[in-house]
Amino acid sequence: MKYLISSLAVIIINFISAQVSLNINAIPRGVEVLIDGESVGKTPLKDVMIRPGMHSFELNKKGYASLKHSVDVNPAESLKMDYYLNPIYSIKFFTEESGLKFELNDVHKWRKNKIRLEIEAGEHFLRVYQNNKIIDEQTFTVDEPKSIEYIIKKKISG
Amino acid sequence: MKYMHQPRIWLLTLIFAFIGCSAFRWDKYPEVIYNDREPLISVTYDYGEIEIHIPLYYPRYRPEQIGFQVFANDDTTFPLLSVMHEPIDEVVLFLPHGVLDIDSASNRIRIVPQDIDFWTRYIPFKGVNSGRIDLPLTPVDFKPLLVEGIVTWAQNDSALSNIDLQMGLSGPSGAALAKVTTDINGYYQMGIPGEFMNSQNIELVAGTNLVFQPIRQKLDYSNTKGLYRNISIGPPKTHLGPVYFTNKENVHFRESPEIGSKTLFLLERGEIFSVKKMTSGEYYGNIEIVLSNGKIQNMAGWVLKEDLSLMELDNIYTGDNTK
Repeated sequence: MKYLISSLAVIIINFISAQVSLNINAIPRGVEVLIDGESVGKTPLKDVMIRPGMHSFELNKKGYASLKHSVDVNPAESLKMDYYLNPIYSIKFFTEESGLKFELNDVHKWRKNKIRLEIEAGEHFLRVYQNNKIIDEQTFTVDEPKSIEYIIKKKISG
Repeated sequence: MKYMHQPRIWLLTLIFAFIGCSAFRWDKYPEVIYNDREPLISVTYDYGEIEIHIPLYYPRYRPEQIGFQVFANDDTTFPLLSVMHEPIDEVVLFLPHGVLDIDSASNRIRIVPQDIDFWTRYIPFKGVNSGRIDLPLTPVDFKPLLVEGIVTWAQNDSALSNIDLQMGLSGPSGAALAKVTTDINGYYQMGIPGEFMNSQNIELVAGTNLVFQPIRQKLDYSNTKGLYRNISIGPPKTHLGPVYFTNKENVHFRESPEIGSKTLFLLERGEIFSVKKMTSGEYYGNIEIVLSNGKIQNMAGWVLKEDLSLMELDNIYTGDNTK
C-alpha cells in the first residue's frame, strides 16, 4: 500500500512538474480563450498550466475576427503568447452607377447600390461586373469605419 | 394646420415619410467579411536555466581558486562551461536549457583546484532540461604523498613478502601515518595526506615485524607527490660468514674478548652481526654502521655468544609472520 501511495505521489509530482505555465495576453483585453475547446477565461491570463504537446487555441471577442490556431507546446518553464485580434469595421459602400455587380474576396456578392458591410480590418479584393463582364478589379484597405463610394473610372481618350 | 385633422392628410404624410426614409436606408450584408489574414501571434518560451549546486568542503586548506568545467554526453574535451570560482562552500553554475543528457549520468563536472597539490575530481551526474541539480558534497583536498617499491632480501635479492612498512614523522613524537605489508612479489605502496608535503621529517620504516633493526629512510616530497623506494633488508652480500643478530637490548660490542676489555658501544636488539671467528664464549665479527653522511662503515668487535642468535630466512619474522 505504501509503495502504491509513493508511486502515485511520484506520478503526480512528475505530472505537475512536466506542465508548462502559460501566460496569454491579447489586444484588445478581455478576449475569451478556449484551449482544446474549453474556455480558460478572458485575457490577460496568467499561469494556466498546460502539458507539452499539440493544443488548439481559439480567441473570441465581439467586434473582432475570431482567431484559431494550433501550437505544439514545447517542454519549457513557461510560455508567453501575445495575440493581436483584427477588428471588424462597419463600412458603408455605395455607388451612383447603375447595373453593377460587386464581388468581394471572390466570395461575397451584391448588386445593391447602397450596402452596409461588416469587414475585417486589412486588405480586401473588389471585383466589379457590368453586364456580366469584369470592368474593374482593385484592392482596398479597411483600417477604420468609413464610407466608400465606388465610381467607374472614365477612360480618357486622346 | 387646419387640415391636419383630416385622415387623408395623415395617410399622405405617413406615405411620404416612409418613402422619404427608405431612400436613406442601408441594407446590411448578411455575413461578416473576413480577409483570412494571418493572425498576429507572438509565442515566447522561457525555458529556464539549469542551476547546478555543488557543495564543497575543504578538509585542510583552501586553494586560491577553483576551476569548474561542465561536460555533457560523455565528452571530456569540449566543456559546455568553464568558470573560475573562489573556494566557497557552495558553488552554483548556470547552464542554458536543454544542453545536458537527461537520460543517463553521462554529464560530468570537472573540479580543478588551481594548485598542483590538490586533486582534480570528476563528478558524473544526470541532467535535467531546466531546473535545479544538487550534487553530492565533494571534498577539495590535497593529493596524497605516495611511496612505493619492492622489498628484497639483501643477500640474494629475492622478494620478501609480509614485510611490514610504515610512513610517519621521525622523532620521539612521530606516529605512524600509514601502514602496509608487502605482497607476494615484495611490492608495497602507501600514502599519507598531502598536508605533510612540506614536512622535513617524513620517514619510511621497513621491516617493523622483523627480528632485526628495521630500515629507516627519509622521504622528501618537496618536488614530487610520488617516490619510488626499493628496500634491501638483511645482512649485505659482503657478510660471507654465518650471520647472527643481537637478541636483546644493550649488547656490549667490545674491542677484545678478554673480560674487562673496552666496550666500543652498545647494540640494540636486532643488530646484524657477521661472525668471522669464535671462542668458547664469544664471537668476533662485523657490524654495519650508517654514518651521518649516509655511508656504511663496517666495524669489527666481540659479542658474547649468548647475546646472539643465528639468523635464518625462516626466523627473521617476529610474531606469527612467516615468509
